[in-house]
Amino acid sequence: MRVKTAVLVGGIGLLAASLPLVAHHSFAAEFDSAKSVSLTGTVTKIDWMNPHIWLYLDAKDESGTVAHWQCEGGPPNVLTRNGWSKDSLKVGDQATIDGFRAKDGTNTCNARSVKLPSGKSVFAGSAEDGGPNKRPPTQ
Amino acid sequence: MFLRTLSFIASAVLFPALALLVPSPVFGQPTGQSAGEPGAKSGGPVPRTQDGKPDLSGLWQRPYVPDMTKTTKDQQGTADLPFTEAGLKEWKAYDAAKGDYTGACLPFGLMRSMNSTDPIQIMQSPKYVALLYEQNSWFHVIPIDKKHGNGVPTWFGDSIGHWDGDTLVVDTVNFNGRTRLDTIGHPHSDALHVMERFTRTDAMHIAYEVTIDDPKIFTKPWTNKRTFTLRTDWEIMEYSCEENNKDLYEGHLKPPAR
Repeated sequence: MRVKTAVLVGGIGLLAASLPLVAHHSFAAEFDSAKSVSLTGTVTKIDWMNPHIWLYLDAKDESGTVAHWQCEGGPPNVLTRNGWSKDSLKVGDQATIDGFRAKDGTNTCNARSVKLPSGKSVFAGSAEDGGPNKRPPTQ
Repeated sequence: MFLRTLSFIASAVLFPALALLVPSPVFGQPTGQSAGEPGAKSGGPVPRTQDGKPDLSGLWQRPYVPDMTKTTKDQQGTADLPFTEAGLKEWKAYDAAKGDYTGACLPFGLMRSMNSTDPIQIMQSPKYVALLYEQNSWFHVIPIDKKHGNGVPTWFGDSIGHWDGDTLVVDTVNFNGRTRLDTIGHPHSDALHVMERFTRTDAMHIAYEVTIDDPKIFTKPWTNKRTFTLRTDWEIMEYSCEENNKDLYEGHLKPPAR
């Protein structure tokens, strides 16, 4: 498991969502499109709440140090209409979150995709909120 | 469907709007049609209310319009906005990172609510049309054939409506000037005058055209057009912006200056 902050590799296989996911705020108000992040670790908590879901992940960096991350996803109403539920991802699951870091430098990110070790995608991000034009996968 | 919707959204904040509408006998949706989905070509003739007006009632899916200048498959925008000198200065100075009123869950205002992706429930009687926005569970009531009031300037403005043939025309003024037109942040002032035209083109669609007029920010009016699609397979859902607004509560974004 590792944490990296680098330019997000394009073409990560995201499919178009059947519904756009929109933030209740501007992407640029909080996140930095120049600071992508890829996190792999253990899901420790899921807030399936308005105005955005939040995912909490314990991810190890190259030195083995565990870092606690929190990543914002889409609004639960939109995710629900896209066929997801709070049970689509569970505490204890291993997951990889690709997204963008908060401008304030905390371990906070905007999730554009969430994948399980099998490669299966589950709900994610707040696309079309003025941020990078990455859409989350559909179920 | 109406009763279920009514019970679901009859929260204290929505009750005033619904109380205005309950006596109306003209709620209803076209019957015998398939569930609305994006891309649906048509659904039959325009349904009408008992007074013969096109019936705009229903839950409508709308394209997300984060930038009203763009022309895409979902909208027809105005590419080069006719900014005044002051308007251009305001636009160039905007930085959401310095303060985002929507992130603080303040009212989005009329245009940013119309541009949001969440569906709207339209309820209609001969005297009122009410727009129930799923976004943050807000509502806006439009009296028909009334005159503008002289109230305190507001986030959503003071709207009045009238029928121009089969088109509902909504005229809105008296804005507080604290909102943005769209997510990317196009500005307006308290002199904003919004003219909206709702035309139900068939059972499944509303053609929506909005004209933005603001002499402090723009040298002439400009327009944006898009299409709403009826979703008979959806119900409106509750949306609390304040519930878990970690973005604001933990200081990841800044509220606007007051």
